[in-house]
Amino acid sequence: MTMKNPLAKTAVLLAGMYVFLTWILPLFTAPLPASLIYLYLALTVAAAAIFYTMSGAGLDDFMGPIGRFLTGEGHAGATGTARLVVFALFPLLVGWQTYAKLAPSDMPPAENRTIHPAPPGEFVGLANPFPRTPGNIATGQGLYAAYCSPCHGGNFDGKGPASVGFNPPPANFSDPGTIAQLQESYLFWRIKKGGVGLPVEGMPWKSAMPRWEKELTDERIWKIIMGEYAGAGQSPRTWEEEE
Amino acid sequence: MGRERIVNVALGAAVLAAGAGAVPALADESTPAAGAGSSVSIRLHLTDEALPGADPYAAAWDTIRPSEFQLAPQVHWPDRIQEVTVKSVKVRGMHNGEELAMLLEYADPSEDAADAAALEFMVGERKAHFAHGQEMLQVEGGPVNIWYWTHAAGNAVDMSAKGFKTLRPQTQQDVSATGAWRDGVWRVVFSRRLNTDDARDVRITPGEWTNVAFAVWDGQIVDGAVKEQGSQKAVSSWWYVRAEPPPDASIYGYVALGIALAAGFEWLLVRKIRRGNAA
Ligand code: HEC
Repeated sequence: MTMKNPLAKTAVLLAGMYVFLTWILPLFTAPLPASLIYLYLALTVAAAAIFYTMSGAGLDDFMGPIGRFLTGEGHAGATGTARLVVFALFPLLVGWQTYAKLAPSDMPPAENRTIHPAPPGEFVGLANPFPRTPGNIATGQGLYAAYCSPCHGGNFDGKGPASVGFNPPPANFSDPGTIAQLQESYLFWRIKKGGVGLPVEGMPWKSAMPRWEKELTDERIWKIIMGEYAGAGQSPRTWEEEE
Repeated sequence: MGRERIVNVALGAAVLAAGAGAVPALADESTPAAGAGSSVSIRLHLTDEALPGADPYAAAWDTIRPSEFQLAPQVHWPDRIQEVTVKSVKVRGMHNGEELAMLLEYADPSEDAADAAALEFMVGERKAHFAHGQEMLQVEGGPVNIWYWTHAAGNAVDMSAKGFKTLRPQTQQDVSATGAWRDGVWRVVFSRRLNTDDARDVRITPGEWTNVAFAVWDGQIVDGAVKEQGSQKAVSSWWYVRAEPPPDASIYGYVALGIALAAGFEWLLVRKIRRGNAA
């Protein structure tokens, strides 16, 4: 069946929009709140309605089936029952949605924590002063195993034995969304100053990331960074450009 | 083209939109990102009755579904510990508008004098780091209030901290606690008034979210030394607690209003279309 019917076209358009907004868009940006998806779908419907209303001829095709369903015209037996069910469900849905929005919930208000806030100026553009030799990488990996793996995991996956119970959880370095997006200088800042070094939008009071400058020299931190990238199979942002 | 028709189209569109809205609303319910055994918050259930403050095994506790929070060995700062006995705590809470009681429950195979557990809260408006309100570099932090129960003392100490090595008992003690160990499980009830007149105490206001964190020490003697003490403990970072606000009957009024509006809308819609068709 080719889709000549404007109503069917609108239905397909709506389904497409829904799939796009709920599943495809979040691949690129933060997921949309349900209320916004609802709004966008409503706008789509309104736009389709206006479109078909303007092009007078299409109007009957668009409204005809809806109108007949709503008035019950020509709907006996099973479709007649379906009509009654729809009529009963709609007010209940509205009531239920009202309740869900207003009832006290155990979900605290959503927090918008910035995961990668801008580093302080003195850390911007620092380069790793140590050459990427197998020896330095091995030293870094040894230090990583001792100091970082309890949280960030021996496999660099953020699932070490001390990783549970923290919100936010320790970063997963094997995920392309963490250190592969960052420069070495950024890691140097994060490791040296830890969670408490974050600006307010990073919610420093929630981070379990230790402030390593209290225990590790700069040299050790730079070597850990090397070991971390090598172990996680990632490259920092600038290396590609240099090679 | 008749005005009638345009009205019909708009009404039809609204019905469709409301139906479409129900789909994401249904999907909304299954939110928490945390996995199994990891709650986000504790609800202090509102009750008219006296709280079972001194009895960790009172029947009233079993009517409440516990929240559960995982705990990690403390490796954030020295002295670290790589492996701890207690992997998670279950937490229940009640309040009666005046007082609150919070019950911690966790598995610990042995009952030892040095067994201990603590609740930590942010105090006031300023954010405090969960590690004893340690100093933050770009944000001015506030203090924390810690309720520290030990089996040896048989009660809790009401403490304050703002930074490492600043943890001290308060001059005014407002918290009490009772622990009972049965068959490898500790149950510890902490009690306090919702609000005290001590500015160093957390204020619990019904309906408002407060940050809370947990710590547990296994006091078992291993090779002549206490296994977990001081900074060597099982910990969590900040989660949330909220005292249930008094029931708000207006919610049901709004629900009834919503149902009435929707039904009225349906009636209007059908009437309009029938009239339009007849015309
Ligand atoms: C107590 C657990 C813990 C330990 C130990 C720990 N981290 Fe972290 N780390 C975290 C947490 C939690 C986060 C996420 C919150 C944040 O960004 O502050 C994090 C974040 C990071 C980030 C930021 C990643 C990003 O995408 O922004 C880096 C880099 C990092 N850690 C490196 C290290 C290194 C290197 C070590 C060892 C020297 C280490 N961490 C040890 C808990 C830990």
